[in-house]
Amino acid sequence: MSLFLERLVNGLADGSIYALLALALVVVFRSTGQLNFAQGEIGTMGAFFVSTLTLTGLPVWLSIGCAMLLGFVISAGVERIVVRPIEHRNPGAVIVALIGVFLGVNQVVAMIWGVDARSLPSVFPDDADDFVTIGGAPIRIARLGIIGVLIVVLFLLWLMFNKTKVGLAMRAVANNQESSNLVGIRVGSILVVGWGLAGAIGVLAAAMLAPSAGLTGTLMLGPFLLASVAAVLGGLDSPVGAVVGGLIIGLTEAFIVGYVDFLGADMLFPVMLVILLVVLLLRPSGLFGSERVERV
Amino acid sequence: MSGDGLLNVAGLSAGYGPIEVLHQIDFTVAEGEIVVILGANGAGKTTTMRAVSGMISRHGTVEFAGHDISGSKPDAILRTGISQVPQGRGTFTDLTVDDNLRAGGYTVKGSIEDDLERWYELFPRLSERRNQKAGSLSGGEQQMLAVARAMMPRPKLLLCDEPSLGLAPLITKELFRVLGSLRDEFGMSLLVVEQNAGMSLALADRAYVLETGHVVATGTGDELLADDTIKEAYLGVAN
Repeated sequence: MSLFLERLVNGLADGSIYALLALALVVVFRSTGQLNFAQGEIGTMGAFFVSTLTLTGLPVWLSIGCAMLLGFVISAGVERIVVRPIEHRNPGAVIVALIGVFLGVNQVVAMIWGVDARSLPSVFPDDADDFVTIGGAPIRIARLGIIGVLIVVLFLLWLMFNKTKVGLAMRAVANNQESSNLVGIRVGSILVVGWGLAGAIGVLAAAMLAPSAGLTGTLMLGPFLLASVAAVLGGLDSPVGAVVGGLIIGLTEAFIVGYVDFLGADMLFPVMLVILLVVLLLRPSGLFGSERVERV
Repeated sequence: MSGDGLLNVAGLSAGYGPIEVLHQIDFTVAEGEIVVILGANGAGKTTTMRAVSGMISRHGTVEFAGHDISGSKPDAILRTGISQVPQGRGTFTDLTVDDNLRAGGYTVKGSIEDDLERWYELFPRLSERRNQKAGSLSGGEQQMLAVARAMMPRPKLLLCDEPSLGLAPLITKELFRVLGSLRDEFGMSLLVVEQNAGMSLALADRAYVLETGHVVATGTGDELLADDTIKEAYLGVAN
């Protein structure tokens, strides 16, 4: 029982990171209809930036805040400088351009910070004895903290989307850009904000992951793939779906590695793809994706 | 040209890419006036609307309430007081009726609660459905929603692009009654483009007839209704 609880919390904590990253992907997809391949790499860059800032003595939480700001600016810049000019001419080419950004950011990180692994301090108490005992299971506080971060982010996003004017504008732009123009929303600015927001969330996910996973240039590669699966699983246009998808992936990972010996960690991706395939066969738009109901 | 109307349009040309659809047309809308531009498919009606509201690039002079808006962007034109009901309604189908109206009030500074209640009062059906997604409304309800949303920015001039399109005659009648009341009760000026000559000319103070991007006739609504060539072309009545 205690082992089960430990695996449950670990699964939810990893799942929270996938959920954050999947949320970032969904925020961009809803507004622009693009999968931002560079999402994970921008996160990795942010995590390295956090490590540099903490080395100067800045508190970890403040460093993460600054790095999220950097993630916002870079991601917003990608929309404005790369995506928008290309999209007007050839929407299909945007995918290739974003893969280019992915490679570019990856290389820039290697140039600036080198290829050696670093350790990143956690924003939560993370020493050997920083755990609480729940139901006989030692649960690390840092793991619980990650789940808490997801909950806080979700609450803030909900507030923003449902209670603010810019949130309403983002939902309007996601639904109908032409009509958004007609009611006086500056669509371009809203897209920039959406991408920036996604960039900041991606950095947060990376900063949550790096303390336990170790900070390397490939930090976000696996998580990005899993988050993409999570986003598609949940429905690419559904924030709720992204979160549920992320948590499902995290739990599946923890339980397969923990309980199904003959599959283990190596078979993780194939198992995820089978789950994805089954869900998409039964529900083509994902668990929470909108099958549009429209009367004409 | 500097006319004395609320909206003065002179030598307006517009199109898509290299194709010019609208060739140097002139028209005016006076304060509190309902003007109809009548035309068949492809005459350039929608292009006229989009050119006035700044959604496409155009040449010529567009002057509104004393401002030259010939080169202005859509959100700037909206802020000077021109709001548009697009063809096909263009509601935010995934958003609730209430959020649609709130999005309509995006450019308004300060509280829009009184505006919401005013339009809910005029459109009780929308009030009943305020928490329903717009995509689940009937065609007529969506058209009402599109009109209410366009009124949220507190415009002086409302542009309506073929509001009767796809609506049953009874619903069209109800819609035109509402459009009339916007002028009578709220002092609005309206520019309506239509194919439905019978009902729109009955509503219009003045009308222009648009053919292949040129204005070919103009007069009061009643004059055009009585005109034989108009009858033949737009009302399906032989001499």
